[in-house]
Amino acid sequence: MNTPPALEVSALEKHYPRFALGPLDLIVPSGSIYGLIGPNGAGKTTLIDQIFGMGSPDAGTIRVCGLDHEHDEVAVKSCAAYVGPDLSFVAWGKITNAIRFTRGFRPTWDDAYCARLMRDFGISANDRIGTLSFGGRTKLALLLALAWHPQVLVLDEPTTGIDAHTKKAVFVELLGIVRDEARTVFISSHQLSDLERFADHVGVLHKGRLVAEGATGELVERHLQAEWEAENAGAFAHVPGLTLQEHEGPRWRGVLDTMTCPLESLQRRGARDVRTQALTLEELFLALTK
Amino acid sequence: MPSKSIKLLFPPISPAADGTLYEQIVSGVKRAIGDGKMKPGEALPSFRQLAEEMLVSVITVKRAYDELEREGIIFRRQGLGTFVAEGGGDRSRELKIEHARTLLKTAAREAAEAGLKPPDVRRLFLETLNEQP
Repeated sequence: MNTPPALEVSALEKHYPRFALGPLDLIVPSGSIYGLIGPNGAGKTTLIDQIFGMGSPDAGTIRVCGLDHEHDEVAVKSCAAYVGPDLSFVAWGKITNAIRFTRGFRPTWDDAYCARLMRDFGISANDRIGTLSFGGRTKLALLLALAWHPQVLVLDEPTTGIDAHTKKAVFVELLGIVRDEARTVFISSHQLSDLERFADHVGVLHKGRLVAEGATGELVERHLQAEWEAENAGAFAHVPGLTLQEHEGPRWRGVLDTMTCPLESLQRRGARDVRTQALTLEELFLALTK
Repeated sequence: MPSKSIKLLFPPISPAADGTLYEQIVSGVKRAIGDGKMKPGEALPSFRQLAEEMLVSVITVKRAYDELEREGIIFRRQGLGTFVAEGGGDRSRELKIEHARTLLKTAAREAAEAGLKPPDVRRLFLETLNEQP
């Protein structure tokens, strides 16, 4: 069986007066949870907007489940769901109305699953949407997206403002989704410790470009925090795979991607007393997006 | 599929516990096999099933299974699943002894660096043993 990637972004570019996204290449394999991380303003939401056809790209293509996001827009929207902070359902009044409306145009809507999610997320059909907290509205958006079993679920900051119990319930659902190898979750979040645990792959977006990407555990482990001493200051500027953090006199600190910049290459450049230690995803993120 | 609950078969995975998430799965499975909670030939849960139970990514479980397979503790049958290897329990115990030996070597080196003589190290080790619950 030859399943196309759930999401395939090729040479994507989108230019604004003060910001440029790309050129960006990104592949999200089907059956995985992919975490997109990046500082505020890195282009995460711009990328997600592009996927869902909000504005045309200036260059490049986006394919969702093998379908072109512009040419096959309707097909894309019937296999991919979006949950983001800007969704508003207030106009529907009660939760039950929002559910009835969404259910009406999603042929795969699953009533039993919807009922279970309402229990697990602690929301009731008769609540008024206008009185929900921010977290409550996020839970409703997740419910409306999960309950029709989309093939691709795109989540923009889905766990902001929800409590630890609901967050756990959300991740249980997400892991349940990818149990079916044909379904995929693409999630943009600032909750790095959650992604470190739940995401199969992570991509780090910084100033519109993907600066690091890989299987979560491997990406974290192949990077090392290094400290060393050296006199020759020029030797460490612009070394591929080396991100310098601090430098004072002969003492240096930086993060190495040992795949492109092995320890020996530091020593070859005159580094002495090299000491290394492991990083968490959060520390790696801070180093790469400074 | 194993009939017993997976939840209580392996210890929970926590960032607060020792080792990375996948190492915790490796040692959890080894412990279950070493303790005889899982017998040779018995099926392990699928990656996706275990990921869902342990609340970790699928790739983390896959990596743990890869390592356990390399060490000869479990084996995979295409299309059938993953099973505890014959002698997996012994193999698991051997690896633990090997690991303990490495740790003791490190301890001996650290003690020597601190200026302790062999009799002091021996006394320290016996003290540590007696402290074990």
